[in-house]
Amino acid sequence: MSAEIDHKPLLTHEVGSLDKPGWRVKAYAGKPLDDKDLEEARSWGERLTVPEYEKLLDLLRHAPFSKEQKAEIQRWSSLYALRLEESAGLDVVYDGEQQRTEMYDWAVNHTNGFERRGSVRAFDNKYYSKAAVVGPISLREPFHNAEFSYLVSVADAELKIPVTGAYTIADWSFDERYDKDTDLREPAKGRRRKRKAARRDFVLEVSRNLIRPNLDSLIGLGARWIQVDEPGASTEEDELDLFVDSFNASVEGLNATFSTHLCFSDYNLFFPAIERMSQCRQYAVGFANYDSRELGTSDEKRPGYQVIKKFRDLSYKPALGLGVLDIHSDFIESPELVRDRVLYAVKVFGDPGRIHVTPDCGLRTRSWKVAYEKLRNMTAGVQLARETLRI
Amino acid sequence: MDLYSDGLLKWQDIFRPLMGALGVKPHTLVRWFDTNTFFRAPELGGRIQTVTNPDGVVPDASVPRPRAATLPSPFMFSRAAHTDQDRNRLMIELARQVLRPAIDAAVAGGAELIHLQDPWLGYFGIKPDDWAPLGEALGVLHHELKATLAFHVYFGDAGPHIDQLQRLPVDAIGVDLIETDVAELGSGWDKGLVAGIINGRSSILESLDNTVEVARHLADTVRPRNLYLTSNCELGYLPTGVAERKVLRLGEAARKAKELVSV
Repeated sequence: MSAEIDHKPLLTHEVGSLDKPGWRVKAYAGKPLDDKDLEEARSWGERLTVPEYEKLLDLLRHAPFSKEQKAEIQRWSSLYALRLEESAGLDVVYDGEQQRTEMYDWAVNHTNGFERRGSVRAFDNKYYSKAAVVGPISLREPFHNAEFSYLVSVADAELKIPVTGAYTIADWSFDERYDKDTDLREPAKGRRRKRKAARRDFVLEVSRNLIRPNLDSLIGLGARWIQVDEPGASTEEDELDLFVDSFNASVEGLNATFSTHLCFSDYNLFFPAIERMSQCRQYAVGFANYDSRELGTSDEKRPGYQVIKKFRDLSYKPALGLGVLDIHSDFIESPELVRDRVLYAVKVFGDPGRIHVTPDCGLRTRSWKVAYEKLRNMTAGVQLARETLRI
Repeated sequence: MDLYSDGLLKWQDIFRPLMGALGVKPHTLVRWFDTNTFFRAPELGGRIQTVTNPDGVVPDASVPRPRAATLPSPFMFSRAAHTDQDRNRLMIELARQVLRPAIDAAVAGGAELIHLQDPWLGYFGIKPDDWAPLGEALGVLHHELKATLAFHVYFGDAGPHIDQLQRLPVDAIGVDLIETDVAELGSGWDKGLVAGIINGRSSILESLDNTVEVARHLADTVRPRNLYLTSNCELGYLPTGVAERKVLRLGEAARKAKELVSV
């Protein structure tokens, strides 16, 4: 059963990752810090009024760092990111995944059954690491508990935990367990059928043996809203049903609010498959990347948002986390542009209660300066929309 | 290997050096078919300028010769672009104004095989009316070309298109044998066959014996004018170490297959 959390109309939240500060990256890697790193820690600590940030500065001046000190620096990084989001005015926050290596790598590194294979390009000159499944999959240890417990102790705003979903983990992995080298002289149709069956077994094993126990553990610690991140969900057009099955297998019967994040896809592909995903109470979806930067609330001015009607018409009436910030560009969306994107969505849905407002995706490819400006303008734009709607 | 390339390691995506040569900065990030790789969609509104400086497609001097140059096919280029133009007209214009200058630069830089990638046709298919403009566009590229021109369909089953593909004005047709039935290739080709027999999307290393047997089978049954052995798609979806092992396996299989064929 997916629990409902009663949220105000046009709720704002982040989606997931933020860039990691230079001082955090260097300290963790054992590299020397310079004055620029210390100044970054000082200036953001001051700007975000991070309590006792001078203690971090003192710590950073005492390299090399022990394992415990590195963990402490990671927690400082979490605290800074949390304060950045709270300071930008977001209603629901997390820590920009400061304690994780990366959304995929972190998950498979806490899992039995995977081996690292190296990195591959995602886009431009951005790379991500890939692993191969080589044996039975099981959770080595719950891998978000420590960060969540810490964030509960320091957050002022409500928390939403981003967790990488089963389909994406499987899709971003090589399969050396279920899939086999086949003789290309065999009929292609038969080879394809075997490949698809192997894929199904793989994805559902990740759901049942990795994602679900990890979610269960978080719920035991008091987690109320968990966002299952599925940027890979629509990768294979003929596997949307498998994506839905994997989501349902991951969350069925667990007592929390579950949402999912989708991005950089042809969102039309998700329909009708997600009609069966009624335990998903919110879809956080990136649209700004496809939209124009002109002001206006007509269909012509908002080409990136035409597909939202399909989310509106889902019978179980989930909220839509409306992506209004292009996370692959340093362009700072004005509050007015955010306002118009929000007003357009409210017009289409006819109910501001079903619209939440978010960036398109995690902001980790942007500097903190850019991310902060974007988020501040996002909350300012939502305020303008609220004034227009008188809510 | 018989032909070398730089693996396009400096290209951020298959269109980027060409867009750079056009002076256009692409923006929108789009998923590259069913992979976890993304490209910036070429923005091609208005008239396409003639590319005069396509140096970005020529590998640096460290790449041995003879070389193979990989470029987007005009069909895929025109379909992947964001444009308000008629896509078939755009396809021919891209062939004339962008791809032909790039191919000429690659040939001048030592390319003996021009390898046109076309996952679009393999993945999404092609309308019957689009074959003639595709032939026209490829004719622009093939005319008086002092290199072998190959049109490689991948990420899909080339079987249903084999007859039409063989009528295209190119020297060789590439197929993705992970997706295509060998039995559908027919026999007695009057073109070369670029056979994608190494899986560029799987980390599992192919068996040597099996790969050699497939190559022999293709040589014996399809009987193409020339047989080129390659991966089914680009190897950029694999970590470098895995890709290296696959390339070595491909070379090993080709060497063994040549010995067996020559016996």
